[in-house]
Amino acid sequence: MIQRIALSLIVIAIAIGGGTASVWYALRAQEGIGALTVGGWTAFPAIGTPEADPYAMARIARDGTLPLGRAEGLAFIAERDSAGNRLRRECDYRVEGLTPTARFWTLVATDETLAALGHGGRASAVQSRQVLRRADNSFAVGVGPHPAPGNWLRIDGTGPLALVLTLYDTPVTGGAGLGAFELPQVLKSGCDA
Amino acid sequence: MLRFLYAVLLGTVGAGIVHIAVLLLLPVVSERDAWSRLSQAGDLYTVTPLYGAAADRRILRSADPLFQAVACRFDLANGLTHIRGVGRLPYWSVSIYDRTGRNVYSFNDRSTTKGALDLVVLTPAQMIEVRKDLPEAYAESVFVEADIGEGIVVVRGFVPDASWAPAISRELAGAVCTAE
Repeated sequence: MIQRIALSLIVIAIAIGGGTASVWYALRAQEGIGALTVGGWTAFPAIGTPEADPYAMARIARDGTLPLGRAEGLAFIAERDSAGNRLRRECDYRVEGLTPTARFWTLVATDETLAALGHGGRASAVQSRQVLRRADNSFAVGVGPHPAPGNWLRIDGTGPLALVLTLYDTPVTGGAGLGAFELPQVLKSGCDA
Repeated sequence: MLRFLYAVLLGTVGAGIVHIAVLLLLPVVSERDAWSRLSQAGDLYTVTPLYGAAADRRILRSADPLFQAVACRFDLANGLTHIRGVGRLPYWSVSIYDRTGRNVYSFNDRSTTKGALDLVVLTPAQMIEVRKDLPEAYAESVFVEADIGEGIVVVRGFVPDASWAPAISRELAGAVCTAE
């Protein structure tokens, strides 16, 4: 009798605990169902469309966000550098390369919850129209606490870092050539010990 | 031992069912979603700043600090929804969401004839009525048929740098959202 009750309790504990934990994990992970990964960048192209899957809808509801639509733009998130290490606010990085066709893009430094970082009332963000480019149209943005020549995205503090690159009014969201384009690389240049 | 394995197996199947149930229930029961937050901030058809304006009035979390946005909740049961007024911005875009935050339709300033926002959201049934005799007021409107009942319209404006912020916030606050 007691054995039967214990077994029933095990069944219930596994069902409820495992079920909720797996949802929590699936929504927290940047990789996962519906994700598009290019280089180290991840995006959810279907989240801003009527075809958004249940995981995307649950993410929208939990975060209380309204995702960008197909005609608006697409946000790519990088949480790791090109060597696969987690991005940290104590370190200096270089975001270097080319972006796909878009009217403009913005690059924002955020914390691990994707809330934009700032310093002295200014957000840590740059946009394509203020970026200095090389002759071949590529660019490099220094991201970190130490001033960098050229383009510099200043960040302060310590803790995990994420970079959000949002392409606005881009044909990438239309599905044509999804996955057949390149995004800038995130290279680590050094860390404060 | 066999009974224990059986219990674990049963629990795993149950976990799958709970996983699906929680996933599908989240959008329905969430009290943190955009619709709930917006209804605390203003009535239907009120143009409410979402983010980008004064920090204390920020309602939704924005992924992009170089953007400002306003939103307007509507209910198509009260008639079609007409949103107009935003123009002369470096870039603006509009999205229409249903109550759960699903993006039903979006477009940007290049989709309009004069670069100014003039949007009518209506149900297919209302569209048939409007088509019979197109009122002069809608001559240049973009019509979006959406069978969604309640929904949210969000207008986003790009802020290229801080000096643009007051002008863009003024332009977005000038948007008019009405039921007609």
